[in-house]
Amino acid sequence: MSKLFVALALSSLFVAYQARADVDLPGVALFTTGGTIQSKGAHRQKLMEYSDGRVTPQELLDDLPELQGIAKIDVTEISNIGSGGMNTALQLKLAKAINAALAKPGVTGAVVTHGTATLEETAYFLNLVVKSDKPVVLVGAMRPFTAVSRDGPFNLYNAVRVATSPQAKGMGVLIMLNDEINAARDTTKSNTYRMETFVARDLGPLGYADSDRIVFYRRPLYRHTTKSEFDVGALDDLPRVDVTYAYQESDGVAIDAFVAAGARGVVLTGSNADAVKKGQTKGVVFVQSDRKGAGRVVESARQMERGIVTSDNLPPQKARVLLRLALTRTTDLKEIQRMFNEY
Amino acid sequence: MSIERRAVSNERRAVSRKQWLRICSVACLLAGPAAVAQEIPTYAPPPAMPADMAKLPHVVLMSMGGTIASRGDTRLNITNYGGKGAPRVDPQHWVTDLPELKGIASITLEDQRAPQDRPTGSETHEDFARVAKRLNELAADPGVDGIVVTHGTNTMAETAYYMSLVVKTDKPVVFVGSQRPWTGLSGDGPRNLYDAVRVAASKEARGKGVLHCMDQFINTARDVDKTSAYRVDTFKGVDVGAIGFADPDKVVFYREPVRRHTSGSEFAGKDFQSLPAVEVAFAYRDAPGYLIDAMVEHGVKGIVVEGTGAGSPTGSETEAIKRAQEKGVVVVATARTNSGRVQDTPRRREAKIVPGDNLVPEKARILLQLALTQTSDLAEIQRIFTEY
Repeated sequence: MSKLFVALALSSLFVAYQARADVDLPGVALFTTGGTIQSKGAHRQKLMEYSDGRVTPQELLDDLPELQGIAKIDVTEISNIGSGGMNTALQLKLAKAINAALAKPGVTGAVVTHGTATLEETAYFLNLVVKSDKPVVLVGAMRPFTAVSRDGPFNLYNAVRVATSPQAKGMGVLIMLNDEINAARDTTKSNTYRMETFVARDLGPLGYADSDRIVFYRRPLYRHTTKSEFDVGALDDLPRVDVTYAYQESDGVAIDAFVAAGARGVVLTGSNADAVKKGQTKGVVFVQSDRKGAGRVVESARQMERGIVTSDNLPPQKARVLLRLALTRTTDLKEIQRMFNEY
Repeated sequence: MSIERRAVSNERRAVSRKQWLRICSVACLLAGPAAVAQEIPTYAPPPAMPADMAKLPHVVLMSMGGTIASRGDTRLNITNYGGKGAPRVDPQHWVTDLPELKGIASITLEDQRAPQDRPTGSETHEDFARVAKRLNELAADPGVDGIVVTHGTNTMAETAYYMSLVVKTDKPVVFVGSQRPWTGLSGDGPRNLYDAVRVAASKEARGKGVLHCMDQFINTARDVDKTSAYRVDTFKGVDVGAIGFADPDKVVFYREPVRRHTSGSEFAGKDFQSLPAVEVAFAYRDAPGYLIDAMVEHGVKGIVVEGTGAGSPTGSETEAIKRAQEKGVVVVATARTNSGRVQDTPRRREAKIVPGDNLVPEKARILLQLALTQTSDLAEIQRIFTEY
């Protein structure tokens, strides 16, 4: 009990100390899109089916007065939905809003609240279209706003810290949950409910938001943000790209249907030679990914002969993000393969 | 053969010839004809030689021994191999068994093994210093593009980390070993060795510090750790993962390390003939302080505490740490959790204990030894632990 008291006393001192240094606080643009971090449940023990109200951006800020000690926050609400409802129109709106905000000299970085289910897709999309080396940090929560031992507040606090950190500059779009700073490209949700759900399989996080400091151990090497050739500034939609899931006896029915629905690209996790050939005659681009969730699809002479682009180690949902952007610029397979090797 | 083709200094040649004579005579005495690695299929046709051999990168393949340089009496012997009386795998045998190496690099062999009669796991600082000096020489040789060092897996991460701090170079230096002996069924050694040479020969590996390549993962010397006694996927970049892969189509990097190393290290290029004594004190329930007192009596200049949880010593150890500090001993805290950082907290500052960041104790020991060669100022040592 006394230890707890000391810890509380220390942390309130810490907060008080930080709040005093309010001169010239860095500006952070906070974009809210919704997600579990902005969801309310019927009672404190409710960790699922929490659909008893949404948390407004103002409620988020009022809930976390400590933020005022570390940044000047400027909030923009993009949406207030679960990430299952995230769509191209909202993503484009978000990307344009972030680019506009980061172009202002007073803004040090951006934070985006997002549902965790598809957070990695939006993060990777932004990683490819944000035109700034200022930090952009996506944050979410695994437990709703109303839950006992909820993770959202500390995640949000850390996300703002990272967005103001000079070390985070040039690292590309980042994901902040569970004290871990992860790279948008390499990180995936790996568990339905646990708070350590976001992992960059094989490659690990870039660093940590620890109490003593923000610390980085790694810098990502694949192209992103200021080094990216993709620009959505003038776009109001993106080409349709779908994903097929492979399993024993899965056939080409899904591929045929996607092509019939107007898909300009299909990401494969298995192989359906006939359906692929049919699609290719209609100009559809196929990318080979994999359902395992780790490891690279290696470039091979056989895949090239078949005119199928390999996805490196991008999981299908991220290969889709890159292919959609690639198709805004080219349908040349060699050129698209180059993009998959570089981004 | 490409071994002698490269321009090397006369002195180097003389040394390596002398070593060769020694190796050959030892091998002949002990082994008779050397057994061929049994898991490498011999029916595969040799790879096509590149048209212009001169354009191949020049990789020095240095043996510090290890399981990868060991033989067992049968193919199924993957635990009780090597040792006195068992012939070792000489560097030349790797090249003979893996003719594919000639397709990816021009290889120069170098033997830096400890004498065979010395028991395993007994590398000394003498070995460290000798190899570090040699790596610095090789790195400075404009004819050398990359270096591969084989090593026993038990302490390979320590040696690699030391080299990443003291070798002044941007050239790839790649540590490699195997979990199964060269003669083991489904041995991992041949593929690991082939991949390590590919990484050392790759332009992409330049400037990324001392690397480690086994099981097709490329890890950094600072963060790699052996995590399993026998599995072939034993080496992990603890917390922060691998930085790339040696895949069949290419060597590919996704990350570069941010912490200072090799050409960016303030210790690089120096010849440390000896290092200040630093020992590690392990914390467990009721761990006594008298072990720390004994370290101080033996004249240590630094102590790394491998603390419980977030890096805490026991009460008895804490008292002993205070006694040690009164005698000028520098204390660094690491965590026995083998993952996560020991943080810079007000309480730890008050106790004058330097947080070891996320270094494992055996690596914190190496960094503290090097730090103590130039300072005993706590703020300066704290800086070093923050930057490396």
